[in-house]
Amino acid sequence: MEAGFAVTMEGITKRFGPVVALDEVTLKVRKGTIHALVGENGAGKTTLMKILYGAYPATEGQYQIFEETAKFKNSAEAIQTGIGMVSQHYSIIGELTCLENLMLGAESSWLIPQSASIQLAEKLAAQMGFEFDWGALASGLSPAGAQKLEILKLLWRNSQIMILDEPTAMLTPQDSDALYASLKTLVKQGATVIVVTHRLPEVIEHCDQVTVLRGGKLVANEPVDPGETDLPARLAELIVGRAIAFPELSKREPGERLLTAEKICVRGSRGEISVRAASFSLCAGEIVGLAGVDGSGQRELFAALYGTQPIVSGLVDFLGEQLASTTKERLRNGLKWIPEDRHRQALIEDWTLDDNAALGMHCAPPFAENGHINRAGRRQAASEIASLFATKFGALSDPIASLSGGNQQRFVNARTLFSKPRVILAFQPARGLDIDATRAFYAELSKAVEEGATALVVSFDLDELIQYTDRILVMSLGELYETGQSRNRTEIGKLMVGAA
Amino acid sequence: MNWRLFLLIAACIATIFAILVVGGFPAGQVLLDLLNGSVGSLKVFSKTLREMTPLLIAGTAVFVALRAGLFNIGVEGQFTMGAMGCAAVAIWIPNWFGVLCGALAGIILGALWAFPAAWIRAYRNGHEVITTIMLNNIAGFLTTALVVGPLKDPFRENATTAAIPIMFPNIFSTPTLGQNGKPDGTFEITIGLVVGITLATLLWFWLKRTVAGYELEAVGANPSAAEMAGIAVRRVTVKAMLSSGGIAGLAGALQVLVLEGRFYKDFSQGYGFDSLGVALLAGGNPLALIPSALAFGIIKKGASSITVMHSVPKGITLVILGLMIVVFAAIRYRKHMGRAVA
Repeated sequence: MEAGFAVTMEGITKRFGPVVALDEVTLKVRKGTIHALVGENGAGKTTLMKILYGAYPATEGQYQIFEETAKFKNSAEAIQTGIGMVSQHYSIIGELTCLENLMLGAESSWLIPQSASIQLAEKLAAQMGFEFDWGALASGLSPAGAQKLEILKLLWRNSQIMILDEPTAMLTPQDSDALYASLKTLVKQGATVIVVTHRLPEVIEHCDQVTVLRGGKLVANEPVDPGETDLPARLAELIVGRAIAFPELSKREPGERLLTAEKICVRGSRGEISVRAASFSLCAGEIVGLAGVDGSGQRELFAALYGTQPIVSGLVDFLGEQLASTTKERLRNGLKWIPEDRHRQALIEDWTLDDNAALGMHCAPPFAENGHINRAGRRQAASEIASLFATKFGALSDPIASLSGGNQQRFVNARTLFSKPRVILAFQPARGLDIDATRAFYAELSKAVEEGATALVVSFDLDELIQYTDRILVMSLGELYETGQSRNRTEIGKLMVGAA
Repeated sequence: MNWRLFLLIAACIATIFAILVVGGFPAGQVLLDLLNGSVGSLKVFSKTLREMTPLLIAGTAVFVALRAGLFNIGVEGQFTMGAMGCAAVAIWIPNWFGVLCGALAGIILGALWAFPAAWIRAYRNGHEVITTIMLNNIAGFLTTALVVGPLKDPFRENATTAAIPIMFPNIFSTPTLGQNGKPDGTFEITIGLVVGITLATLLWFWLKRTVAGYELEAVGANPSAAEMAGIAVRRVTVKAMLSSGGIAGLAGALQVLVLEGRFYKDFSQGYGFDSLGVALLAGGNPLALIPSALAFGIIKKGASSITVMHSVPKGITLVILGLMIVVFAAIRYRKHMGRAVA
């Protein structure tokens, strides 16, 4: 007998003022399946899930949970009904222990029985094959660990329907596979999982059913058949609405060396050596990928190049001279970056697009002259930056916080390319971007390197690096390895986990 | 949207009204006299402007620090040190040079008094609220010790310095006429008020139009992003705090050079603390410091006149100022909550 539907959403429409985010969308999720929800940035995936989770009311339409009509006024009611959601940004609090995080907001009573709680926590973890040191602070967890803890949080709350928004965005291929393995365990036990994702290989490999949204409308809903060979291409086309061609890697010949690092060592935030005698060089005309498990030292290496973390030993040569000591001089000399955390490092959220456009280049023309801000020049530059990747925004004088995450990333990427850099350090530049926007970014990046720049790109999505970069370096436990021209996924994967 | 604002202000006035009625005062008459006693005639308005001047300059001091993300509670201490330093220098130097030296001494002492807090915040990550509160206490006791000791005028009984020989003259002065048509006082615009308005205006220009102002606001809004943008966050922090202290010291110096003519024990009367309210009420715009300081001036002057006329306790000033700030905070907070969710 076929299992019934866990979720039935019919004719869901959601308007934010004049903007129609969802237009008569239908979503049916069978009990005991992993259901993928895919689509571009702004296709309405997250909005639909937030309606299901009770965070937004739907403007029109209705939904049933376990074939009973529901209408949630808030998330608390959705949680009561057995719906749980892990959002893109984890809500783990580093200052609390793992156990405290697990129980937060769902404590069994006002007095917390420590040992009984640990027993229950252990039981849930064992059921999933996870291991946790429950008394340890959650700040010590890796992204994969935090993701696992988020899933246990849902179990603790007896969620029957779990919504995961971009669950693998921060994970390595190995961790992603492990995550899906545990999701499959859950599904076997009767849970239902909805995964919002950009990554098609995951959908094809692990999901039972896929729903595609485009521009707030439902465009496809079909079972996933891993046997269908051109499924990735067909899904990609459904998502963006036309056949997309992946760019052929141009056979670029690397030119002169722009940046050379020799045996540099950098300390991490706890004082440990995180980058061990790393040597590499970046040449004009190439995009170099930096692959590695999250936390292998990429962050510290980049911080040392930004100038926010001191280099303990070793030399960096930039354009034939020793790298300048201050961040300001490095920026002025043409070393530019796309930082990892756009909220904390790249943008000032309360500020307008105008003001944000100047950040990092605010001392020089066209943004300023002789210490005075050139408002006309800045406005012109801001509008050019916004138009490079078709950033969607209301007005240049709106706060940048009013943009969606993907659009903020487009703006940050465009700002870096706008400054005509010599060396570009990009940390996860495609984070939150859909296939089309990622492709557009790398096309522009290629243009920049062909005009004589070079780029070092960190991504936790190995496929992205294989697809778009000329050469891949691998970082593992603070050490750097060359892979030459290798495009072998397994080989690089082995290097990443130190198994080569 | 606007009816909410209206409702808030109405609720604010109603609360003050209710407090007065409960206290057994003729509320309507008291509020009317509050306005009469502060803006009712040129003569009293002149006094309101006098009250407003130190609040405006000290408010500008708080504002500079606030834009850099620093809460300078120490304006009270910097104001007092500036006033003391100014008087200590100016009483010895007879001519115009003395006035200038006094003003300069005020600025330097104010900045010096902010320096420990600035340095500890920037390089040792100690919170400026704690350090400046401590420095306020030290400033209070130190200036008292000086003014009962070495700086005391031996010919006077009170703890005060001698009068300084030359003061800043008024920019504009005219006799005011009373109800019977005879002169009953003067209307004055002091150099202090002009300095205050100029400072607030310059600050507006500096923040919006210069790279240095941009960097200061970036540090205040998001220090990590500022650092990534090549801004020397620590240096900007120290500079902002020193400027704040310097302006606060100037406020104290001008109080001596324009109004008081000497320094005495318990000189400040809480200007440094009221100026925190002035800066908060101004929100994000330096030009708003001017109406904000004026509002504080009106209430402070008006309250002292209703204290005389109706024996309303002086504490009513605090109640009214407190309510104003709460209402304003509520309006600003609403703006933040109303931000579009993307």
